[in-house]
Amino acid sequence: MSQAAVEVESVTFAYPGAPAPALEGVSLRVEPHERLGILGPNGGGKSTLVKLILGLLSPQSGRVSVFGSSPADARRAGVIGYVAQRAELELGLPITVREAVMLGAAWRTAPWRRPPREAVERVDRVLELTGCRSYGDRPVGSLSGGQLQRTLIARALAAHARVLVLDEPTVGIDAAGQEQFAALLARVHAELGVTLIVVSHDLRAIVAGSDRVACLARRLHSHTSPQGLTPQILAELFTHDVAGLLGSLRGVHVHAHAAGEPCGEPSHAPAPVQLGIPRTAKSAAAGEGAPGATRGPDA
Amino acid sequence: MLEPFFDPSSMQFQALLAGAPVVLMCGVLSVLVVVKRLGFVGQGVSHSAFGGVGVAALLAVLLPSALARADLVQFAVVVVFCIAAALGMSAVSNRRTLPTDTAIGMFLVGSMAVGAVLVHVSRTIGRGAPVQSWESILFGSIFLATRAEIVIGWLAAACVLLASWWFRRPLLFWVFDEDSSPAFGVRTRAMRALLMVLLAVSVVVAMKLAGVVLATALLVLPGAIALRISRRLGPVVAISVVSGMLALVLGIAASTRFDWPAGPCMVLALTLMFAAAAGVSSLRRAEGPASAGAAA
Repeated sequence: MSQAAVEVESVTFAYPGAPAPALEGVSLRVEPHERLGILGPNGGGKSTLVKLILGLLSPQSGRVSVFGSSPADARRAGVIGYVAQRAELELGLPITVREAVMLGAAWRTAPWRRPPREAVERVDRVLELTGCRSYGDRPVGSLSGGQLQRTLIARALAAHARVLVLDEPTVGIDAAGQEQFAALLARVHAELGVTLIVVSHDLRAIVAGSDRVACLARRLHSHTSPQGLTPQILAELFTHDVAGLLGSLRGVHVHAHAAGEPCGEPSHAPAPVQLGIPRTAKSAAAGEGAPGATRGPDA
Repeated sequence: MLEPFFDPSSMQFQALLAGAPVVLMCGVLSVLVVVKRLGFVGQGVSHSAFGGVGVAALLAVLLPSALARADLVQFAVVVVFCIAAALGMSAVSNRRTLPTDTAIGMFLVGSMAVGAVLVHVSRTIGRGAPVQSWESILFGSIFLATRAEIVIGWLAAACVLLASWWFRRPLLFWVFDEDSSPAFGVRTRAMRALLMVLLAVSVVVAMKLAGVVLATALLVLPGAIALRISRRLGPVVAISVVSGMLALVLGIAASTRFDWPAGPCMVLALTLMFAAAAGVSSLRRAEGPASAGAAA
């Protein structure tokens, strides 16, 4: 078996003093160049899983590795790029977009040295790729929310990340912005071959740009292709919030198709409506029911 | 009027020599303080110096050695006290249990109380030994700076500027995006501690120039002025330092001409500069859409 980009093995994590663990027995394998969406309700442990993958937290049991290294080593080596959820940036800092992105590429450069040419070229490339080049000389404080998000993605990519983790990337972005964002991620993925992990409670954001979806609510409830997300899975995942979630799917085309991999047997099956999820280019090429190389304990 | 500033034997030149390193340090740090909204931290650190002054005064009285009264040792004692207070504020503040402003307020008043008690005790048991006056602690006395204090000021400025330059990249990364810094490997605690130490050193040196009460102004106003005028890092730092230098010259000139206190004059000059910069900035913003509309 080839080396996984990210491997989470039977991980359990509890915050000190918390009555229940935030994550319990979670196993997950992300292949290189794969696009994994992690879907789950608020408080379901998504951000905790991200922190474990980034090496900012250590599991009480189980193991996490990134390209065979510990997350902390991978982070120090710049292997993981990260775009935070609703980052509280100090936009009063008088730096340009290019300078902010360059900080990602060259903050480790010795103070007496200029950023190496390779870093400058990399910054040029990611600015072009993320569409930031046209406003590269503008101060970060003058950007719109979407432009700022592109800048943060460019900064993560400029650091030579092989795994890009995006935590709730579409919060506060309208439908048109979400489509543009999905197109941006597809372009980044196609050009750089980077492994993408997108964490969200927004189903639309997840299905638009994932090869596989992991459903997380403390435990890994399902690990399936976007096409396999059924109302049963969503009902179990979001329990009381499923009506609101399905409401958010207005505009997504609904039609009948084969069910995916429901986890467990819900006592009351919801109405037999199957969700037609827009197929990504890659999953379409790979066929229905894309790889389920990894399974959670409940899958 | 400016001639005395170029005469090495004049008191204006000596005051300029004493004030320049402070303005350099504070000019650079001021940009970070304003952007990172650490103005109140500066206030807390500067007032913590009261405690440091008290400890230094007590040491000078209790220890028979002349070393304890040496300027460098007295300076080091106050700096160490301020650094401890700054790191303490940072360590005990917690978003949920103890908000930062509360922690700063506690250290501020606690240090002032310690300073007041220790200075009183030093005067009582010292029986006439020289103890720094409250007025000079509060408002500074730039014209009374000794040669040793001027040398210490330049050494401190060299250290602060070198550290700011050396760590500029991780420091800027942290200032811009503290939340994501750990994920990129930037050590947030180390960066915060570094900035606190640099602030503490600057504040202690600035006390000589403008006093405890007004030292914060030197850490806030130059950066606030510069950020109203430019949005590029290089020009902002340059404008911040130049505005501080201009205020220093104006403060010294006003003090020698009208016999006004130099520290408050400096701060008044900076306040007026800020008002002018804010006015110009508002006019530019108001003209922006209008001119764009005319162009359309």
